[in-house]
Amino acid sequence: MENDRDKLLDVQDLTVRFYTDDGVVHAVNGVSLSLAEGETLGLVGETGAGKTTTALAILGLVPSPPGKTESSATIFDRQDLRLLKESEYRKVRGNKISMIFQDPMTSLNPTMTVTEQIAEAIRNHRNITRQEAKVEAVKMLETVRIPADRAFEYPHQFSGGMKQRVVIAIALACNPKLLIADEPTTALDVTIQAQVLELMKELKNKLNTAIVMITHDLGIVSEICDKVAIMYAGEIVESGSLEQIYDNPRHPYTNGLFGSLPDIEKDVEFLSSIEGMMPDPADLPVGCKFHPRCKYARPVCSEQIPNNNEIEPGHFARCLIYEGKLPGQEVKKYV
Amino acid sequence: MSDPLIKVSGLKKYFTVSTGELHAVDGLDFEISRGGTIGIVGESGCGKSTLGRLLAMLLKPTAGSILFEGTELTALKDKRQLKPMQQRIQMIFQDPFSSLNPRMTTFDTIIEPLKIHQVSHGAEREEKVYEIMNTVGLSERFVNSYPHELDGGRRQRIGIARALALNPDFIVCDEPVSALDVSIQAQILNLLKTLQQRFGYTYMFITHDLAVVKHISHEVLVMYLGEMVEKAHTEELFKNPRHPYTKALMSAIPVPSIHGKKERILLEGELTSPIDPKPACRFAPRCENASEQCRRQAPGITDLGDGHSVRCFLE
Repeated sequence: MENDRDKLLDVQDLTVRFYTDDGVVHAVNGVSLSLAEGETLGLVGETGAGKTTTALAILGLVPSPPGKTESSATIFDRQDLRLLKESEYRKVRGNKISMIFQDPMTSLNPTMTVTEQIAEAIRNHRNITRQEAKVEAVKMLETVRIPADRAFEYPHQFSGGMKQRVVIAIALACNPKLLIADEPTTALDVTIQAQVLELMKELKNKLNTAIVMITHDLGIVSEICDKVAIMYAGEIVESGSLEQIYDNPRHPYTNGLFGSLPDIEKDVEFLSSIEGMMPDPADLPVGCKFHPRCKYARPVCSEQIPNNNEIEPGHFARCLIYEGKLPGQEVKKYV
Repeated sequence: MSDPLIKVSGLKKYFTVSTGELHAVDGLDFEISRGGTIGIVGESGCGKSTLGRLLAMLLKPTAGSILFEGTELTALKDKRQLKPMQQRIQMIFQDPFSSLNPRMTTFDTIIEPLKIHQVSHGAEREEKVYEIMNTVGLSERFVNSYPHELDGGRRQRIGIARALALNPDFIVCDEPVSALDVSIQAQILNLLKTLQQRFGYTYMFITHDLAVVKHISHEVLVMYLGEMVEKAHTEELFKNPRHPYTKALMSAIPVPSIHGKKERILLEGELTSPIDPKPACRFAPRCENASEQCRRQAPGITDLGDGHSVRCFLE
């Protein structure tokens, strides 16, 4: 295990709840994750798993009220983020931690040229003149391979892939230590997605930026990530290195996710889908949150909450099988 | 190919826009065999949805013919001629959030086509609604639910139920799983396959996802800017892709595995404009093998035998 001092980000027991008129929504339930400098973590899950809320909580962007964020530790770069005042948080966001949002069409300002938008991000955090910031901004555009002669155009003049590159340029403008990318390629076509992924890989190696990659696509994770955390109903149900998760998925949900994917290299008549639907975060099942959809489930699963069991060094799974509560049951890959 | 259900030839659809003619579908020829699935693959703007709408008779083609069991669909004029064909051709739409009427319950949505086409009566007709709900795996307790009360997977099941209600022969599926989560996507794909085996439906499956298309189709047609660039049986296409665009598409998919990573063919640039295209290969600006000839002349279709054809000068 890495030394505590090497950790860039260390979140322990993060909980986010939303208090609404219809009850309490348990969006994130005790998520712990850590990341070293230059490392890339894939945060994988389906709609409503709490991936984006986790990211927003790290950035201190969960609206309160109705949201309430709690954790036993949120350390970033040896700084306790929980103690920051809003004005201090603003100095961190967009500077040391940046975020890329899913939809490049709506995250850019249509009334400003792309250079102005990048320069704005730079001037928010560095004490330089407008002119100097513009020069920096054009350099940034060239880094993401947008030619300088298009630097003074508006977002509507760019295609989807180029807009997402502008968003990446804004996020990287202040050379952040941590980049949170929330489904950065979901809105793009596959050939454009491939271009953006290649660019992100290249920049990650060049700038040594740590990345939290939020995605539902296990293919993208395998391209770019070092570590993986699988989320379900606001919990991390399995985590480990890329090899551990892909070669040896041990949680029934992870296994089900792999089985649900049509594989371009294999032929199967039917996909082994996961039955049922994601639970409502305002009304989560008692016991293991996955048990109503789990084919290994036994009565004990609706009574006991599984721990985060370490099944091999660095590989964790939140399932009662690994606590000896389901004798004879074993999760086998893709069945 | 034996016994084609549908034969498309020279099919074109142009839209007039302020800057010229947009060639959405530009001269397609293909057949769809009975009980089979043809996958239509391409990126946004390649005309695949327009093609789906043409075959579902929701759009009138600019030119060309669509023969459905010998009936020329493009020649049908009034309601009296159209209705019996519409009953046999149905469509499933991409977005289960916007393709259902928010003011109609599950029951109303599924019974509507039965009413319009006057299929059975009274209690028998109502019984049919429950039967169809059962077929698509929708529990009866949702019969009086409105779309907003249901999640994406269940809504898409309603969309499928509505298409099945009239017991059609041919169903156009326009990205039916793209808006769904992977675990739900697998459920819907399995359902569509089971239904085909049970009732012998013929599908046209439109998608941008090659893994999905490989899983569900018997034959695949790859489109680029309104044209067919390659067509083959699924197995053949994935084993032996010939067009540079097909190859690039295949290598662009992130494979959920950490072993045997292939070298990726990265395409430069993005789709060029489909408005008044010049007589040249439409893929040439992004193709690394493009020669002078590709930029001056439009390539024809080369038949490689056994149903495999490709539009490229290299063949």
